[in-house]
Amino acid sequence: MNLAATMWDGLSSPSLRLSFAMQDEAATSNPASDDPIERRAIEAVKHGDAGSYEYLVAKYMKRVVSIAWGIVRNAADAEDLAQEAFVRAFQTIDRFKSGERFGPWIFRIVTNLSLDVMKHRTRFRHEEIGEDEPAARRDRADLAAVTGELARRIDDAIESLPAMQRVVARLYLVEEFEHAEIAEMTGLSAGTVRSHLSLARGKLREKLADLYE
Amino acid sequence: MSDRFFERLRDDAPRLRYEPDDVMLTRLTARVRERVASQPTVESFLARWFRPLAMSLGVLALAATLGVQWYERNQQQSTTLEAALSADPVEISMDGNTYTLSR
Repeated sequence: MNLAATMWDGLSSPSLRLSFAMQDEAATSNPASDDPIERRAIEAVKHGDAGSYEYLVAKYMKRVVSIAWGIVRNAADAEDLAQEAFVRAFQTIDRFKSGERFGPWIFRIVTNLSLDVMKHRTRFRHEEIGEDEPAARRDRADLAAVTGELARRIDDAIESLPAMQRVVARLYLVEEFEHAEIAEMTGLSAGTVRSHLSLARGKLREKLADLYE
Repeated sequence: MSDRFFERLRDDAPRLRYEPDDVMLTRLTARVRERVASQPTVESFLARWFRPLAMSLGVLALAATLGVQWYERNQQQSTTLEAALSADPVEISMDGNTYTLSR
C-alpha cells in the first residue's frame, strides 16, 4: 500500500480516492475483473480529467512492468517501456471503446513496444549482446524470486528457447495469459501461438525432465 | 509425462514474475504523471497552430498596408510635380531663342 499512499494526492476524483486503496491489491492480482471504477476512470480521462488516469496506472503498473521485463530482461528498459506504454495509451484514449477492459489494451501496447526493442536488439546483436553472455540473462539479479534451484532451472530453460517461443512461453507460463490473450497481445494468430507453445513445451520438457518426472 | 507437465510448470513459473519495488513504482508513477500532464489539450493544440498562423497573417497585412501607403505617396508626388510643371512652365533662352518646357 506504499504506492497507494504515494499516489493518494494525485487522484483528482474523490470517488476514485475512496476506492483506490481497496482496488489496488485486488486489481493487481486479478486484472481481468470487471471494475466499475475503471470504467468511470476511463470516461473521466476521455473527458479531460488526466488525474483519473492515475487509477489505471496504479492498477496495471506492476503487471505492465513485469510483462516488459519478461521480454527485454532489463529493469531500466522495462521501466521506460512501461512509461511509454502508459503515455501512448493516454494519448490514444479516445480510440478506446467504452465497455472494453483497459488491461488487454495496455498489455498489448507494452508487449508490442517490448517486442520492438527485442527485435532491435536482435538486429544489432553485436552491440547489445556479448558472445558468451546473452543479454537476456544479465538482469536476473532483478528477479528476487530466482533464489531457489527450481526457479533458476525454470528460468534458464525458458531463456534458452528461441525468441518468440520464449516470449510466448513466458506470457503463458509466468504471466498466466491464455492463448487468445497472447495472440491479441503479440499480434500472432492463435494457431501460431499454439505452435510456439507446443515447440516450447517439447524443449522445456527435455530440459526439466528430472524436475517433473 | 503428458500435459500434466505443462500444468505443473505453469503452477511453478509465476514465481518468476518480475516484481518492481516501491522506488521504481513511485518513480514510474511520477514520470507518467509528468508526461500525461504535459500532453496538449485541444485548446493548446489549436493555439499552437493558430499563433504562428495569426503572426504570419499579421505580417502580411502590415506589409500590404505599408506597400499601399508607399504606392499612394509615390502617386501623389508625381501628380504634384506634373501640376507644378503645368502651372509654372520653365522657359529656357538659348542663342536668342526661347524654349518653354511645359506639360
